[in-house]
Amino acid sequence: MKKVVDVSLPIGPVHPCFKEPARIKCETCGERVIATEVELGYVKKGIEKIMVGRPWQETIFLAERVCGICSVVHNTAIVGALEKISSIAVPPRAMYLRIILNELDRMQSHLLANYSYCYTIEHETLAMYLLNLRETIMDAIEIMTGTRIMAAYVVPGGVREDISAATADAVRAATFHIETELPRFVKMFETGPMIALRSKGIGILSVEDAKKSGVVGPMARASGIPCDARDQVPLYQELGWHMITRSEGDNFARIMLRFDELFQSASIIKNALAALPSGPVRLGGRVVSGRCRNVIEAPRGNLTYDIAVDEVGRVISVAIQTPSIMNVEVGSHAMMRNLASIADVTATFISTDPCIACAER
Amino acid sequence: MTLLQRIKNAVRKRSIHICYVNTGSCNGCDIEILACLSPRYDIEQYGIYVHNNPREADVILITGAMSAQWIDKLPDLWDRVPGPKAAVTIGNCPISGCAFNRPGSLIDPPVSKYIPVAAAIPGCPPRPTEIISAILNVADTLFENYEIKSRGKKP
Repeated sequence: MKKVVDVSLPIGPVHPCFKEPARIKCETCGERVIATEVELGYVKKGIEKIMVGRPWQETIFLAERVCGICSVVHNTAIVGALEKISSIAVPPRAMYLRIILNELDRMQSHLLANYSYCYTIEHETLAMYLLNLRETIMDAIEIMTGTRIMAAYVVPGGVREDISAATADAVRAATFHIETELPRFVKMFETGPMIALRSKGIGILSVEDAKKSGVVGPMARASGIPCDARDQVPLYQELGWHMITRSEGDNFARIMLRFDELFQSASIIKNALAALPSGPVRLGGRVVSGRCRNVIEAPRGNLTYDIAVDEVGRVISVAIQTPSIMNVEVGSHAMMRNLASIADVTATFISTDPCIACAER
Repeated sequence: MTLLQRIKNAVRKRSIHICYVNTGSCNGCDIEILACLSPRYDIEQYGIYVHNNPREADVILITGAMSAQWIDKLPDLWDRVPGPKAAVTIGNCPISGCAFNRPGSLIDPPVSKYIPVAAAIPGCPPRPTEIISAILNVADTLFENYEIKSRGKKP
Protein backbone atom coordinates (compact mmCIF):
# COMPACT_ATOMS: atom_id res chain seq x y z
CA MET A 1 0.00 0.00 0.00
CA LYS A 2 1.25 3.46 -0.85
CA LYS A 3 1.73 5.70 2.13
CA VAL A 4 -0.12 9.00 2.03
CA VAL A 5 2.20 11.68 3.35
CA ASP A 6 0.98 15.25 3.66
CA VAL A 7 3.94 17.08 5.06
CA SER A 8 7.43 16.03 6.05
CA LEU A 9 7.86 18.05 9.21
CA PRO A 10 11.29 18.58 10.75
CA ILE A 11 11.66 19.11 14.50
CA GLY A 12 14.94 20.63 15.64
CA PRO A 13 17.90 20.89 15.78
CA VAL A 14 17.28 23.84 18.14
CA HIS A 15 13.95 23.15 19.78
CA PRO A 16 12.44 24.20 23.14
CA CYS A 17 12.10 20.56 24.24
CA PHE A 18 15.59 19.40 23.40
CA LYS A 19 18.58 19.85 25.62
CA GLU A 20 20.81 18.89 22.74
CA PRO A 21 20.66 19.24 18.99
CA ALA A 22 18.91 16.42 17.17
CA ARG A 23 16.58 16.51 14.24
CA ILE A 24 13.43 14.41 13.98
CA LYS A 25 11.86 14.18 10.56
CA CYS A 26 8.17 13.34 10.85
CA GLU A 27 6.03 12.14 7.98
CA THR A 28 2.57 13.29 8.81
CA CYS A 29 -0.88 12.57 7.47
CA GLY A 30 -3.09 15.24 8.95
CA GLU A 31 -2.25 15.34 12.63
CA ARG A 32 -1.25 11.66 12.68
CA VAL A 33 2.45 10.88 12.50
CA ILE A 34 3.11 7.92 10.22
CA ALA A 35 6.85 7.52 10.56
CA THR A 36 9.80 9.35 12.02
CA GLU A 37 13.50 9.43 11.43
CA VAL A 38 16.10 10.74 13.87
CA GLU A 39 19.08 12.55 12.38
CA LEU A 40 22.14 12.76 14.57
CA GLY A 41 25.63 14.10 14.06
CA TYR A 42 25.46 17.66 15.34
CA VAL A 43 27.85 17.19 18.27
CA LYS A 44 30.35 14.71 16.85
CA LYS A 45 33.78 15.57 18.19
CA GLY A 46 35.78 12.38 17.63
CA ILE A 47 36.73 11.68 21.25
CA GLU A 48 37.76 8.06 20.60
CA LYS A 49 40.09 9.19 17.84
CA ILE A 50 41.92 11.74 19.98
CA MET A 51 42.19 9.22 22.82
CA VAL A 52 44.39 6.93 20.70
CA GLY A 53 48.11 7.39 21.25
CA ARG A 54 47.71 9.29 24.52
CA PRO A 55 48.85 8.10 27.95
CA TRP A 56 45.89 6.60 29.78
CA GLN A 57 46.07 9.24 32.52
CA GLU A 58 44.85 11.77 29.94
CA THR A 59 42.15 9.53 28.54
CA ILE A 60 40.43 9.33 31.93
CA PHE A 61 39.65 13.04 31.75
CA LEU A 62 38.61 12.79 28.11
CA ALA A 63 36.30 9.87 28.93
CA GLU A 64 34.67 11.98 31.61
CA ARG A 65 33.91 14.63 29.03
CA VAL A 66 32.03 12.22 26.79
CA CYS A 67 28.89 13.15 28.68
CA GLY A 68 28.20 15.86 31.21
CA ILE A 69 25.13 14.27 32.76
CA CYS A 70 26.63 10.87 33.51
CA SER A 71 30.29 11.89 33.79
CA VAL A 72 30.81 9.78 36.92
CA VAL A 73 29.81 6.56 35.21
CA HIS A 74 32.13 7.15 32.25
CA ASN A 75 34.93 7.80 34.70
CA THR A 76 34.15 4.60 36.60
CA ALA A 77 33.89 2.54 33.42
CA ILE A 78 37.24 3.53 31.92
CA VAL A 79 39.03 3.26 35.28
CA GLY A 80 37.44 -0.18 35.80
CA ALA A 81 38.72 -1.30 32.39
CA LEU A 82 42.26 -0.05 33.12
CA GLU A 83 42.22 -1.77 36.52
CA LYS A 84 41.15 -5.04 34.93
CA ILE A 85 44.02 -4.88 32.43
CA SER A 86 46.69 -4.24 35.04
CA SER A 87 45.05 -6.25 37.88
CA ILE A 88 45.12 -3.26 40.23
CA ALA A 89 43.38 -4.02 43.54
CA VAL A 90 40.73 -1.64 44.85
CA PRO A 91 40.35 -1.32 48.64
CA PRO A 92 36.86 -2.13 50.00
CA ARG A 93 36.21 1.40 51.28
CA ALA A 94 36.88 2.81 47.81
CA MET A 95 34.45 0.28 46.29
CA TYR A 96 31.73 1.52 48.62
CA LEU A 97 32.52 5.18 47.88
CA ARG A 98 32.36 4.47 44.14
CA ILE A 99 28.94 2.91 44.54
CA ILE A 100 27.70 5.86 46.60
CA LEU A 101 28.85 8.38 43.98
CA ASN A 102 27.51 6.31 41.09
CA GLU A 103 24.10 6.06 42.72
CA LEU A 104 24.05 9.80 43.44
CA ASP A 105 24.84 10.34 39.76
CA ARG A 106 22.06 7.96 38.75
CA MET A 107 19.61 9.82 40.97
CA GLN A 108 20.39 13.23 39.47
CA SER A 109 20.25 11.81 35.96
CA HIS A 110 16.87 10.15 36.52
CA LEU A 111 15.48 13.31 38.12
CA LEU A 112 16.69 15.30 35.12
CA ALA A 113 15.09 12.81 32.72
CA ASN A 114 11.77 13.01 34.53
CA TYR A 115 12.04 16.80 34.68
CA SER A 116 12.54 16.91 30.90
CA TYR A 117 9.53 14.69 30.33
CA CYS A 118 7.25 16.74 32.60
CA TYR A 119 8.49 19.93 30.90
CA THR A 120 7.79 18.45 27.48
CA ILE A 121 4.22 17.50 28.33
CA GLU A 122 3.84 21.05 29.70
CA HIS A 123 3.42 20.12 33.35
CA GLU A 124 5.82 22.84 34.41
CA THR A 125 4.94 22.78 38.13
CA LEU A 126 5.99 19.18 38.61
CA ALA A 127 9.01 19.76 36.38
CA MET A 128 10.24 22.60 38.59
CA TYR A 129 9.68 20.57 41.77
CA LEU A 130 11.81 17.77 40.34
CA LEU A 131 14.52 20.15 39.13
CA ASN A 132 14.71 21.72 42.57
CA LEU A 133 14.97 18.28 44.14
CA ARG A 134 17.88 17.57 41.81
CA GLU A 135 19.80 20.48 43.33
CA THR A 136 19.84 18.58 46.64
CA ILE A 137 21.67 15.72 44.92
CA MET A 138 24.04 18.11 43.16
CA ASP A 139 24.86 19.60 46.57
CA ALA A 140 25.61 16.13 47.93
CA ILE A 141 27.90 15.43 44.96
CA GLU A 142 29.61 18.79 45.49
CA ILE A 143 30.15 18.13 49.19
CA MET A 144 31.53 14.69 48.44
CA THR A 145 33.80 15.46 45.47
CA GLY A 146 34.33 19.22 45.43
CA THR A 147 32.51 20.02 42.21
CA ARG A 148 29.07 19.59 40.71
CA ILE A 149 29.96 18.04 37.36
CA MET A 150 33.21 16.46 36.08
CA ALA A 151 34.36 15.37 39.52
CA ALA A 152 37.23 13.04 38.43
CA TYR A 153 36.64 11.27 41.74
CA VAL A 154 37.38 7.72 40.61
CA VAL A 155 41.07 7.09 39.93
CA PRO A 156 42.87 3.81 39.18
CA GLY A 157 43.38 1.96 42.46
CA GLY A 158 40.61 3.64 44.41
CA VAL A 159 39.09 7.07 44.74
CA ARG A 160 40.69 10.50 44.86
CA GLU A 161 39.99 11.31 48.51
CA ASP A 162 38.28 9.90 51.56
CA ILE A 163 35.03 11.25 52.95
CA SER A 164 34.73 12.48 56.52
CA ALA A 165 31.93 11.70 58.96
CA ALA A 166 30.42 15.15 58.33
CA THR A 167 30.35 14.50 54.57
CA ALA A 168 28.70 11.13 55.14
CA ASP A 169 26.07 12.86 57.26
CA ALA A 170 25.45 15.43 54.52
CA VAL A 171 24.98 12.71 51.89
CA ARG A 172 22.69 10.81 54.27
CA ALA A 173 20.66 13.97 54.85
CA ALA A 174 20.35 14.51 51.09
CA THR A 175 19.01 10.99 50.49
CA PHE A 176 16.66 11.39 53.44
CA HIS A 177 15.37 14.65 51.91
CA ILE A 178 14.73 12.85 48.61
CA GLU A 179 12.98 9.95 50.30
CA THR A 180 10.64 12.27 52.20
CA GLU A 181 9.92 14.76 49.40
CA LEU A 182 9.74 12.53 46.34
CA PRO A 183 6.63 10.41 47.23
CA ARG A 184 4.47 13.54 46.96
CA PHE A 185 5.69 14.23 43.42
CA VAL A 186 5.38 10.57 42.42
CA LYS A 187 1.78 10.66 43.60
CA MET A 188 1.18 13.82 41.57
CA PHE A 189 2.52 12.07 38.49
CA GLU A 190 0.75 8.79 39.13
CA THR A 191 -2.70 10.24 39.77
CA GLY A 192 -2.69 13.28 37.48
CA PRO A 193 -5.46 12.81 34.91
CA MET A 194 -3.86 15.16 32.36
CA ILE A 195 -0.51 13.44 32.73
CA ALA A 196 -2.19 10.07 32.17
CA LEU A 197 -3.81 11.36 28.98
CA ARG A 198 -0.42 12.42 27.63
CA SER A 199 1.52 9.37 28.86
CA LYS A 200 -0.50 6.17 29.20
CA GLY A 201 -0.64 4.02 26.11
CA ILE A 202 1.56 6.38 24.08
CA GLY A 203 4.86 5.35 22.56
CA ILE A 204 4.47 1.69 23.42
CA LEU A 205 7.57 -0.45 23.02
CA SER A 206 6.44 -4.08 22.89
CA VAL A 207 8.54 -6.88 24.34
CA GLU A 208 9.18 -8.34 20.87
CA ASP A 209 10.40 -5.02 19.49
CA ALA A 210 12.53 -4.46 22.56
CA LYS A 211 14.14 -7.90 22.29
CA LYS A 212 14.74 -7.50 18.57
CA SER A 213 16.31 -4.07 18.81
CA GLY A 214 18.67 -4.69 21.73
CA VAL A 215 17.34 -1.82 23.80
CA VAL A 216 18.99 -1.40 27.22
CA GLY A 217 18.54 0.31 30.55
CA PRO A 218 15.30 1.75 31.97
CA MET A 219 13.64 1.48 28.55
CA ALA A 220 14.18 -2.30 28.42
CA ARG A 221 13.13 -2.71 32.04
CA ALA A 222 9.95 -0.69 31.45
CA SER A 223 9.08 -3.16 28.67
CA GLY A 224 9.58 -6.12 30.99
CA ILE A 225 13.08 -7.23 30.00
CA PRO A 226 15.39 -7.75 32.99
CA CYS A 227 18.52 -6.07 31.67
CA ASP A 228 20.84 -4.41 34.17
CA ALA A 229 24.64 -4.72 34.38
CA ARG A 230 24.46 -4.25 38.15
CA ASP A 231 23.39 -7.90 38.57
CA GLN A 232 27.01 -8.87 37.78
CA VAL A 233 28.34 -6.88 40.76
CA PRO A 234 28.11 -8.85 44.03
CA LEU A 235 28.47 -5.71 46.14
CA TYR A 236 25.22 -4.32 44.74
CA GLN A 237 23.36 -7.46 45.84
CA GLU A 238 24.78 -7.08 49.34
CA LEU A 239 23.52 -3.50 49.46
CA GLY A 240 19.96 -4.51 48.62
CA TRP A 241 19.78 -4.03 44.86
CA HIS A 242 17.10 -5.94 42.99
CA MET A 243 15.80 -5.78 39.45
CA ILE A 244 12.84 -3.46 38.94
CA THR A 245 10.74 -4.11 35.87
CA ARG A 246 7.38 -2.95 34.56
CA SER A 247 5.32 -4.53 31.85
CA GLU A 248 3.45 -1.70 30.09
CA GLY A 249 6.30 -0.26 28.02
CA ASP A 250 4.66 3.12 27.44
CA ASN A 251 5.83 6.63 28.35
CA PHE A 252 4.16 6.40 31.77
CA ALA A 253 5.95 3.14 32.61
CA ARG A 254 9.34 4.55 31.70
CA ILE A 255 8.93 7.59 33.94
CA MET A 256 7.48 5.55 36.83
CA LEU A 257 10.34 3.07 36.54
CA ARG A 258 12.83 5.93 36.94
CA PHE A 259 10.94 7.08 40.04
CA ASP A 260 11.13 3.54 41.48
CA GLU A 261 14.84 3.39 40.76
CA LEU A 262 15.33 6.70 42.54
CA PHE A 263 14.00 5.20 45.76
CA GLN A 264 16.15 2.12 45.26
CA SER A 265 19.27 4.23 44.71
CA ALA A 266 18.52 6.20 47.88
CA SER A 267 18.27 2.98 49.89
CA ILE A 268 21.50 1.64 48.33
CA ILE A 269 23.32 4.84 49.36
CA LYS A 270 21.91 4.57 52.88
CA ASN A 271 22.98 0.92 53.19
CA ALA A 272 26.43 1.68 51.78
CA LEU A 273 26.97 4.54 54.23
CA ALA A 274 25.88 2.31 57.14
CA ALA A 275 28.21 -0.51 56.11
CA LEU A 276 31.14 1.69 55.03
CA PRO A 277 34.31 -0.22 55.99
CA SER A 278 37.38 1.60 57.29
CA GLY A 279 40.79 1.48 55.68
CA PRO A 280 42.69 3.16 52.85
CA VAL A 281 40.89 4.53 49.80
CA ARG A 282 43.72 4.42 47.31
CA LEU A 283 46.34 1.81 46.50
CA GLY A 284 48.99 1.81 43.80
CA GLY A 285 49.74 -0.51 40.92
CA ARG A 286 51.76 -1.00 37.78
CA VAL A 287 50.44 -0.59 34.26
CA VAL A 288 50.93 -3.53 31.94
CA SER A 289 49.88 -3.97 28.34
CA GLY A 290 46.65 -5.71 27.52
CA ARG A 291 43.14 -5.40 26.27
CA CYS A 292 39.87 -5.57 28.16
CA ARG A 293 36.17 -5.00 27.88
CA ASN A 294 34.29 -3.52 30.80
CA VAL A 295 30.51 -3.24 31.04
CA ILE A 296 28.80 -1.21 33.75
CA GLU A 297 25.33 0.14 34.23
CA ALA A 298 24.98 3.82 33.32
CA PRO A 299 21.77 5.71 34.18
CA ARG A 300 20.57 4.99 30.63
CA GLY A 301 21.73 1.39 30.26
CA ASN A 302 24.78 -0.71 29.57
CA LEU A 303 27.96 1.27 28.97
CA THR A 304 30.84 -0.65 27.42
CA TYR A 305 34.47 0.35 27.21
CA ASP A 306 36.78 -1.78 25.08
CA ILE A 307 40.29 -0.48 25.58
CA ALA A 308 43.80 -1.71 24.69
CA VAL A 309 46.99 -0.22 26.12
CA ASP A 310 50.66 -0.93 25.40
CA GLU A 311 53.40 -1.56 27.97
CA VAL A 312 54.22 2.13 28.56
CA GLY A 313 50.57 2.95 29.15
CA ARG A 314 49.61 4.49 25.83
CA VAL A 315 46.15 3.75 24.48
CA ILE A 316 46.33 1.67 21.29
CA SER A 317 42.63 1.47 20.60
CA VAL A 318 39.45 2.37 22.40
CA ALA A 319 35.81 1.73 21.59
CA ILE A 320 32.93 3.15 23.60
CA GLN A 321 29.42 1.82 23.30
CA THR A 322 26.90 4.08 24.97
CA PRO A 323 23.29 3.13 25.71
CA SER A 324 21.68 6.17 24.09
CA ILE A 325 22.34 5.18 20.51
CA MET A 326 20.26 2.00 20.84
CA ASN A 327 17.51 3.76 22.73
CA VAL A 328 17.24 6.68 20.30
CA GLU A 329 17.14 4.41 17.24
CA VAL A 330 14.51 2.09 18.67
CA GLY A 331 12.55 5.20 19.58
CA SER A 332 12.22 6.18 15.95
CA HIS A 333 11.67 2.66 14.60
CA ALA A 334 9.27 1.14 17.12
CA MET A 335 7.80 3.83 19.37
CA MET A 336 7.32 6.95 17.29
CA ARG A 337 5.17 5.27 14.65
CA ASN A 338 1.49 5.91 14.13
CA LEU A 339 1.25 8.46 16.93
CA ALA A 340 -1.96 10.39 17.26
CA SER A 341 -0.38 13.82 17.39
CA ILE A 342 2.84 15.64 16.56
CA ALA A 343 3.09 16.65 20.23
CA ASP A 344 3.52 12.99 21.17
CA VAL A 345 6.68 12.76 19.07
CA THR A 346 8.68 15.05 21.32
CA ALA A 347 7.19 13.52 24.48
CA THR A 348 8.07 10.00 23.34
CA PHE A 349 11.53 11.05 22.23
CA ILE A 350 12.24 12.71 25.58
CA SER A 351 10.85 9.71 27.51
CA THR A 352 13.71 7.60 26.09
CA ASP A 353 16.07 9.98 27.95
CA PRO A 354 18.22 10.66 24.89
CA CYS A 355 21.79 11.73 25.56
CA ILE A 356 23.02 12.90 22.18
CA ALA A 357 26.46 13.86 23.46
CA CYS A 358 26.93 10.27 24.68
CA ALA A 359 25.65 8.80 21.45
CA GLU A 360 27.87 10.82 19.14
CA ARG A 361 30.93 11.58 21.26
CA MET B 1 17.44 60.91 25.67
CA THR B 2 13.81 60.68 24.72
CA LEU B 3 11.15 59.25 26.98
CA LEU B 4 10.68 56.38 24.53
CA GLN B 5 14.36 55.49 24.78
CA ARG B 6 14.19 55.56 28.59
CA ILE B 7 11.22 53.20 28.55
CA LYS B 8 13.01 50.89 26.14
CA ASN B 9 16.08 50.83 28.37
CA ALA B 10 14.04 50.00 31.45
CA VAL B 11 12.06 47.27 29.72
CA ARG B 12 14.99 45.61 28.00
CA LYS B 13 16.82 45.31 31.28
CA ARG B 14 13.97 43.31 32.81
CA SER B 15 12.98 41.13 29.90
CA ILE B 16 15.75 39.06 28.39
CA HIS B 17 14.84 36.08 26.25
CA ILE B 18 17.35 33.32 25.93
CA CYS B 19 18.07 30.62 23.42
CA TYR B 20 20.80 28.10 24.03
CA VAL B 21 22.63 26.43 21.21
CA ASN B 22 24.70 23.31 21.72
CA THR B 23 27.48 23.36 19.12
CA GLY B 24 29.14 20.15 20.22
CA SER B 25 29.39 20.36 23.97
CA CYS B 26 29.34 17.40 26.34
CA ASN B 27 26.04 18.43 28.00
CA GLY B 28 27.72 19.65 31.18
CA CYS B 29 27.19 23.34 30.40
CA ASP B 30 23.69 22.74 29.03
CA ILE B 31 22.72 21.07 32.26
CA GLU B 32 24.06 24.00 34.26
CA ILE B 33 21.87 26.33 32.17
CA LEU B 34 18.91 24.08 32.96
CA ALA B 35 19.84 24.21 36.64
CA CYS B 36 19.44 28.02 36.46
CA LEU B 37 15.74 27.39 35.78
CA SER B 38 15.26 25.58 39.06
CA PRO B 39 13.52 27.47 41.88
CA ARG B 40 16.77 27.68 43.83
CA TYR B 41 18.43 29.98 41.28
CA ASP B 42 15.13 31.09 39.73
CA ILE B 43 16.39 32.78 36.59
CA GLU B 44 12.92 34.22 35.90
CA GLN B 45 13.03 36.53 38.91
CA TYR B 46 15.59 38.61 36.97
CA GLY B 47 13.32 38.69 33.95
CA ILE B 48 15.32 36.13 32.01
CA TYR B 49 13.15 33.68 30.10
CA VAL B 50 14.46 30.55 28.44
CA HIS B 51 12.41 29.99 25.29
CA ASN B 52 14.98 28.27 23.16
CA ASN B 53 13.69 29.88 20.02
CA PRO B 54 16.24 31.92 18.07
CA ARG B 55 13.60 34.10 16.43
CA GLU B 56 12.53 35.65 19.72
CA ALA B 57 15.85 35.59 21.55
CA ASP B 58 17.86 38.55 22.84
CA VAL B 59 20.80 36.59 24.18
CA ILE B 60 22.09 33.38 22.63
CA LEU B 61 24.04 31.13 24.94
CA ILE B 62 26.53 29.04 23.02
CA THR B 63 28.03 25.91 24.52
CA GLY B 64 30.40 23.52 22.84
CA ALA B 65 33.48 23.54 20.71
CA MET B 66 32.03 24.21 17.24
CA SER B 67 31.63 20.84 15.59
CA ALA B 68 31.83 20.60 11.81
CA GLN B 69 28.04 20.34 11.43
CA TRP B 70 27.51 23.75 13.00
CA ILE B 71 30.04 25.77 10.99
CA ASP B 72 27.51 26.82 8.37
CA LYS B 73 24.44 26.60 10.61
CA LEU B 74 25.53 28.90 13.45
CA PRO B 75 26.03 32.10 11.37
CA ASP B 76 22.69 31.30 9.74
CA LEU B 77 21.04 31.01 13.13
CA TRP B 78 22.73 34.24 14.28
CA ASP B 79 21.20 36.11 11.32
CA ARG B 80 17.73 35.03 12.36
CA VAL B 81 17.99 36.56 15.82
CA PRO B 82 16.38 40.01 15.87
CA GLY B 83 18.41 42.95 17.25
CA PRO B 84 19.42 44.04 19.81
CA LYS B 85 21.19 40.76 20.31
CA ALA B 86 24.21 39.34 22.06
CA ALA B 87 26.04 36.04 22.06
CA VAL B 88 27.44 34.71 25.30
CA THR B 89 29.61 31.60 25.24
CA ILE B 90 29.54 29.24 28.19
CA GLY B 91 32.42 27.05 29.27
CA ASN B 92 35.96 26.54 28.07
CA CYS B 93 34.98 24.78 24.85
CA PRO B 94 33.82 27.83 22.83
CA ILE B 95 36.94 29.73 23.90
CA SER B 96 39.67 27.16 23.30
CA GLY B 97 38.15 23.76 22.61
CA CYS B 98 39.09 22.59 26.13
CA ALA B 99 40.11 18.92 26.25
CA PHE B 100 38.85 18.25 22.73
CA ASN B 101 41.25 20.62 20.95
CA ARG B 102 43.72 17.99 19.80
CA PRO B 103 45.02 17.07 16.36
CA GLY B 104 42.53 14.80 14.67
CA SER B 105 39.38 15.98 16.41
CA LEU B 106 36.41 17.23 14.41
CA ILE B 107 36.05 20.64 16.04
CA ASP B 108 37.10 24.14 15.03
CA PRO B 109 37.18 26.55 17.98
CA PRO B 110 36.89 29.39 18.89
CA VAL B 111 33.27 30.32 18.27
CA SER B 112 34.26 34.00 17.91
CA LYS B 113 35.63 33.17 14.44
CA TYR B 114 32.09 32.70 13.20
CA ILE B 115 29.87 35.14 15.08
CA PRO B 116 30.61 38.21 17.25
CA VAL B 117 30.76 37.13 20.89
CA ALA B 118 29.90 39.67 23.57
CA ALA B 119 31.07 37.75 26.62
CA ALA B 120 32.63 34.42 27.52
CA ILE B 121 32.20 32.53 30.77
CA PRO B 122 35.10 30.14 31.35
CA GLY B 123 34.81 27.03 33.49
CA CYS B 124 34.29 23.35 32.87
CA PRO B 125 31.41 23.83 33.50
CA PRO B 126 30.74 27.26 35.11
CA ARG B 127 28.33 27.39 38.03
CA PRO B 128 24.73 28.48 37.48
CA THR B 129 25.30 31.65 39.51
CA GLU B 130 28.16 32.68 37.20
CA ILE B 131 25.96 32.16 34.15
CA ILE B 132 23.18 34.33 35.60
CA SER B 133 25.51 37.15 36.61
CA ALA B 134 27.19 37.18 33.20
CA ILE B 135 23.89 37.39 31.35
CA LEU B 136 22.71 40.25 33.57
CA ASN B 137 25.96 42.19 33.13
CA VAL B 138 26.00 41.79 29.37
CA ALA B 139 22.37 42.72 28.89
CA ASP B 140 22.69 45.88 30.98
CA THR B 141 25.56 47.34 29.00
CA LEU B 142 24.72 46.08 25.51
CA PHE B 143 21.04 46.84 25.32
CA GLU B 144 21.18 50.30 26.92
CA ASN B 145 20.58 53.10 24.38
CA TYR B 146 20.72 50.54 21.57
CA GLU B 147 19.01 52.83 19.05
CA ILE B 148 21.46 55.70 19.72
CA LYS B 149 24.51 53.46 19.55
CA SER B 150 23.43 51.70 16.37
CA ARG B 151 22.53 54.91 14.51
CA GLY B 152 24.26 55.00 11.15
CA LYS B 153 25.22 51.34 11.28
CA LYS B 154 23.61 48.77 9.10
CA PRO B 155 21.15 46.62 11.01
